[in-house]
Amino acid sequence: MGISINGVSKKFHSFQAVDQINLTIPTGDFVALLGPSGSGKTTLLRLIAGLELPNSGQILFNDLDYTNKNVKERKVGFVFQHYALFKHMTIFENIAFGLKVRPRKFRPSKQEIKKKVYELLELVQLKEVANRYPSQLSGGQRQRIALARALAVDPEVLLLDEPFGALDAKVRQELRIWLRELHQKMNITTIFVTHDQEEALEMADTIVVMNQGKVEQIGTPQQVYDRPKNAFVYSFLGRVNEFRGEALGTVKDGCHLSDNYVGYLRPHEVHLSTIASDNSLPVEVFHVHSVGASVRIEIKRLDNDTLIEAELSADEYRRIGPFYKGDRLYANCDSIVVFQHQHILEDSLPKTVASTI
Amino acid sequence: MSAKKYEERNEKSREGRRSHLLRKWMLIGVALTFLGLFIFLPLIVVFSEATSKGFELYLLALTEPDALSAIKLTLITAAIAVPLNTVFGVLAAWAIAKFEFKGKNILITLIDIPFAVSPVIAGLVFVLLFGSQGLLGPFLEANNIKVIFGIPGIVLATVFITFPFVVRELIPIMQEQGTDEEEAALTLGANGWQMFFRVTLPNIKWGLLYGMILCNARAMGEFGAVSVVSGHIRGLTNTLPLHVEILYNEYNFTAAFAVASLLALLALVTLVIKSFVEWRSEKLRSE
Ligand SMILES: Nc1ncnc2c1ncn2[C@@H]1O[C@H](COP(=O)(O)OP(=O)(O)OP(=O)(O)O)[C@@H](O)[C@H]1O
Ligand SMILES: [Mg+2]
Repeated sequence: MGISINGVSKKFHSFQAVDQINLTIPTGDFVALLGPSGSGKTTLLRLIAGLELPNSGQILFNDLDYTNKNVKERKVGFVFQHYALFKHMTIFENIAFGLKVRPRKFRPSKQEIKKKVYELLELVQLKEVANRYPSQLSGGQRQRIALARALAVDPEVLLLDEPFGALDAKVRQELRIWLRELHQKMNITTIFVTHDQEEALEMADTIVVMNQGKVEQIGTPQQVYDRPKNAFVYSFLGRVNEFRGEALGTVKDGCHLSDNYVGYLRPHEVHLSTIASDNSLPVEVFHVHSVGASVRIEIKRLDNDTLIEAELSADEYRRIGPFYKGDRLYANCDSIVVFQHQHILEDSLPKTVASTI
Repeated sequence: MSAKKYEERNEKSREGRRSHLLRKWMLIGVALTFLGLFIFLPLIVVFSEATSKGFELYLLALTEPDALSAIKLTLITAAIAVPLNTVFGVLAAWAIAKFEFKGKNILITLIDIPFAVSPVIAGLVFVLLFGSQGLLGPFLEANNIKVIFGIPGIVLATVFITFPFVVRELIPIMQEQGTDEEEAALTLGANGWQMFFRVTLPNIKWGLLYGMILCNARAMGEFGAVSVVSGHIRGLTNTLPLHVEILYNEYNFTAAFAVASLLALLALVTLVIKSFVEWRSEKLRSE
């Protein structure tokens, strides 16, 4: 099912939680709503589900106006942030709920319900928990049951609010892959909320970056990562070093920028060397620590004492390192992306990137 | 930490534990003495006094027509007040716990009024409203409806007095539960009724039962408000507590205590059910 959101706004009292959002989601798309806390992601998801009604704007499902349809009529699958499993029902009853509440005419027989529930349990790889209660499951298991329950009613849209928010890193990773595969298998239009940029980049076909109730950018992971529309998107999609403008004749000179401009450089784009070159910035090593396959080096600019984070692969570090606190190095800022008043300066984008889009 | 210091600390904590134990037993002792004096002793007195002239007289006091009619009226009153307050209680608690609206705090305050005012005043308010000199008196008289000094008045007063029990019990439970499960039910295609009966109600059932039991106990035991509106017509508008008072005022102590023992029995049964329900809901919450 394709979804169109046309100029949708939602106010709580006087607070604008969702502000004039336009969004078109084609059938079968896997969309991430990404944004900081309070940016209106959950509200937008609830608006799509019909759990909130918009103050203005339209929501279309397959080009039909669904703005004023109630939750039941929308036939969406919704997975709540804290799962919202029915505490007093067994897992079996939880999953069967959506089938059992159907009007008699459309209600499957007991056998059919049982068959369907076990199919779903198999799909989420949890056949053995059918007779347990939600309180007897782990977080990851509850998450999968919540998903199975939502899928039981054959929704054409699946909405997930921070599906992995409450899980530990390993389970998160497993479930990400699993959900991605599930989506490929079933091809249901899926929208999930996250404030984790890595999760969005890794899983989604389309990322919708939100901030303060507005959409900042919509695009593929590559588009939003490599061609951020503005400084907010750039800084939200990964670690960045910020370079503030200073009094300067030209817009950009090495690592220096003129007033009115702000530059961003991702840690892995900071190139370090032990010898000075044109445009390079003299720095001092402040702290070195290794994280898995890469090494993070905090360096201090000698001209204004601000810290910059650089990241090298372990191999590269071995080639040019090791470094110790106080070592003199030279940083190269060729890959810096420059923004003026939040908007990107096109010619500051690296040529290689521009050509891949 | 040096060994000596460690010893010292250990010694101190042992002393602390001893005085802690002492305090604990003193508190328990005081509480038990108090309970014995003010609760168990009266109970024993009620039952021994009721049966002091033999079991036959005891039974007779309970089965004479006036007593039977008082029992019947008490049961009727409770049978109306409890279901009514259950339904209203659930609705009001739902509105308060799950929706935001203007005047919510005023509503919460209003719910407490029956607890806050003296029952006698509550009774008087009904007399002022429905009595023959009251606001609606002429209208009622013209239509030949008797509220004050009649069963409707007793029921009204009881409903008023017992209103807060169910609501008060449910509001915190419903607030704690939030709306997630109910919203989940809706997204799964349930309609409003299905959501209520399959999700909301099972989640509040023990709290609800608890509220109903307390409501019932008060409905059967209410004296003040009912006394004002009843008119004390023997065999017609006397509930059990009023009947006890009449018998007592007539120096018919054995009969008074016999009827009172019924109320005491009701209290005991209420307590047993209440502790069972408490135990169940505790268990459920800890799961
Ligand atoms: N029912 C409500 N009443 C009042 N304000 C609300 C309500 N729901 C959300 N808001 C406000 O709307 C804003 C957006 O909330 P929302 O839950 O959509 O944010 P979010 O992007 O999901 O954040 P998070 O990542 O923290 O979950 C917040 O400032 C929140 O306080
Ligand atoms: Mg949220």
